[in-house]
Amino acid sequence: MADLQIENLAKAFKGGFTALNGVSLDVADREAVFLLGPSGAGKTTTLRLVAGLEDATAGRIMIGGRDVTRWTPRERNLAMVYDKHSLFPHLTIYENLAYPLRIRKMSDADIRRQIASVAETLQIEKLLERRPNQLSGGQQQRVAIGRALVRDADVFLLDEPISHLDAQLRARMRVEFKRLQRDFRATMLYVSHDQLEAMTMADRIVLINKGRIEQIAAPQELFDRPATLFAATFIGEPPMNVMQAVISESNGCRFLRIGEAYIEVDKDWMQDGEALRPGDKYLLGLRPQHLSLCPADSTHACRVNGTIFAVETLGSRVVFDIDVEGTVIRAMSTIDAALKYPRTIGAPISFRIDPDFVYLFDADRGRTVRQARFTTRGKARLHA
Amino acid sequence: MKKLSSMPESPSAPPVQRNWWVYVVLILVCVVNFLPYLRVVMTGFMDGATSSSATPIWFFTPSLEAFDYLIFEKGIMKNFFNSVVVSLASTFFSVTIGMFCAYALARYDFPGRDDVSFWVLTNRMMPPVAVLIPIFVTFQTAGLLDTLLGLIILYTAMQLPFVVWMLTGYFRDIPRRYEESAMVDGDTWFAAFRKVTLPIMAPSITATAIFVMILSWNEFAFATFLTSNQAKTMPPAIMAYSIGADIKWNVLGAAVVLITAPLILFVLLLQRQLISGLSQGVVRK
Repeated sequence: MADLQIENLAKAFKGGFTALNGVSLDVADREAVFLLGPSGAGKTTTLRLVAGLEDATAGRIMIGGRDVTRWTPRERNLAMVYDKHSLFPHLTIYENLAYPLRIRKMSDADIRRQIASVAETLQIEKLLERRPNQLSGGQQQRVAIGRALVRDADVFLLDEPISHLDAQLRARMRVEFKRLQRDFRATMLYVSHDQLEAMTMADRIVLINKGRIEQIAAPQELFDRPATLFAATFIGEPPMNVMQAVISESNGCRFLRIGEAYIEVDKDWMQDGEALRPGDKYLLGLRPQHLSLCPADSTHACRVNGTIFAVETLGSRVVFDIDVEGTVIRAMSTIDAALKYPRTIGAPISFRIDPDFVYLFDADRGRTVRQARFTTRGKARLHA
Repeated sequence: MKKLSSMPESPSAPPVQRNWWVYVVLILVCVVNFLPYLRVVMTGFMDGATSSSATPIWFFTPSLEAFDYLIFEKGIMKNFFNSVVVSLASTFFSVTIGMFCAYALARYDFPGRDDVSFWVLTNRMMPPVAVLIPIFVTFQTAGLLDTLLGLIILYTAMQLPFVVWMLTGYFRDIPRRYEESAMVDGDTWFAAFRKVTLPIMAPSITATAIFVMILSWNEFAFATFLTSNQAKTMPPAIMAYSIGADIKWNVLGAAVVLITAPLILFVLLLQRQLISGLSQGVVRK
C-alpha cells in the first residue's frame, strides 16, 4: 500500500476540450477517497490519468513518494475496477483472477493459494470454473474486486464499480466494500456520481465539477459546511433550497425576507467574516431537512406562509413543495408530523425557519460567504 | 367497487405461434437454390454424349470420364494446388496485416483517420478490370507474371480493404476496457492485444478469413490474365479445359464439383464459427 498525491493535474483532449484543470488532491495510505461529481465533471479522467491510461497535459502524479507521471500503466502497480467489462469474457473466473498473477510469473501453487484465500473472503469459491457471462451482476462485481485484491496493488482505483447494480444489491455491496477496504488496508480512490455511496463509504470526498475541485472534506463536513454553492446544492437529497437573499436592517437588527416573513438573523453572524457589500447579489440556502412545518395560525416569528405546490411521499418521509410567492421551497417532514397537514394542492401551509440553519452564498462567485450558524456552534461545543 | 383478489395475477404469456408456411417458403427457397447446383453435379458424372444431348436426361449411368480427363489428361490437380497455396497465403497475409490496420483505425485517434478509412472503402468501389492493364504491365516489369508469388501479392492487396473494413467495425465493438484492464494488471500493450483482444475477436477474424479465402479461391479475372502455365489457378483452368470450340458440359460439371467441394466442406466444418463471427457485435451489446 502507498499514498497517492496529485498536483495540479490538467488534461486537455483533442479539439481543445479541457477535462481537468489544476486538480490537486492526496490520498493518504489506507484512506478511502471518493471523487464525486456530476457526469462530465472529470472524475473518470482523473482516475484514468492516475492509472496511466491517459497522458496528463500538465501536473504531477506521485505514488508512494515516486513521480509516476510518465510511467506506463504496468509500471505503476495499481488495481482498477470498472463498472463492467472488467472481466475477460473468454476466460474462466479462475483464469480471470489468475491473470495478473501469471503476468508476474507466479508459480501455479502460489496462484492457487492466493486465489483460494481471496475467493473465500469474497465468497466466490463456487464460481471459479464458470465464465463471466454465467454470473449475475453482483457476482461479476465481486470477481472484479477479487481481481484487484489478488495482488499487492499500491492503490485501488474504482470507477463506479457498483453503480449499474440494482438498489438492493448496491446497498449490500456498499457495506461489503467498506469492510473489504478496512480488512485489506487498501488505499482507495473511488469514482462515483452517487452521493449516497460517497457519503456512506468515504473517509474524505473530493467534489469535482467541470474539471475543477469544488471542495475536499469529510462527508459530514461536506454536508454541513459546503464551501461553494455547487457543493451545497449537489450534496443532500432533496437538494438545498436556494433563493435570492433579501437582506434588510432595522433598529440594528438584520432580517432576511422570505415571502412576507422577515427572519431575524444573528447580528454577529452577519458581521463576522467577509464583509457583505450592499451592491452584490447573495443567495440564501435552506436545507429541506432543516425546515419544519407549523400550523398557519401559529405566532412564530420565523413563520413563512405558502401554498402546497406538490407533495412527494418517500415512505418514511414526506417532502412538501411549498409555493412561496412564486418560489418553490421544499420542506421535509417525518411521516408522523406530516399527518397533521393538508396534502391537497393549493392548500395553505406554513413552515418555520431556524435562523441558525441558513446559509448565505455569493451569487456571482458561487462561494459560501456564511456557513449556517449551527455548524460553528457545534464546533464551539466540541472545543469547550 | 370491485374487490381485488388477494394475489395480483400477471397476464399469461402470449401463445406461441406456429407458422408452418414459413417452412414451406424455406423449403421452396432451398429447392430453387439447390436444383441448378444439383444439375451441374449430375452433369459432371455424365459421359460426353449424355451431357451434350439436346433434351435433358435425368437418368443415366454415372461415368467418371470427365474427372479422368481433368485429373489425368489435363493435370488439374496442379491448378488445384496453386489455388490452395494462393488463397491460403493471401488470406493469411491480408488478415494479419489487415488486423493491425483495423486495430489502429478502431483504437487510435490520429489526424486523417476518417480519410484513411474512407479511402480503404473506396478501393473496393472501383471495378478490378479497370486496373487490369496497369497491373499486367507492372507484373511484366517485375517478373511476376505467371508466378504464385505475384498472385499472392495481388490478392493480399485486393482483400486488404475488405479485411480492414470488416475488422474495424468488430474491433470498435470490443470495449477498450478489456485491454486497459490487462495493461493496468501489468501487461504491455502487445501482450494485452494478444491475450485479450485477439481471443475475443477470434470468431470475427475467422469469419472474415473465410470470406476472404472464398473470394481469393474464386477470383477469375486477374488469374486469367496474369497466369498462363505455371501459376494457373482453378477458375481460369476450368474455363480453359472445358470451353474450347464447343462447351464440354460434363467437364465443366466435374470442374465445378472439384472447385466447390473443398469450399463446401470447409464452410460446413466452420459453420458455427462463421455464424457466430458474423453476428458478433450485432447480437452482443
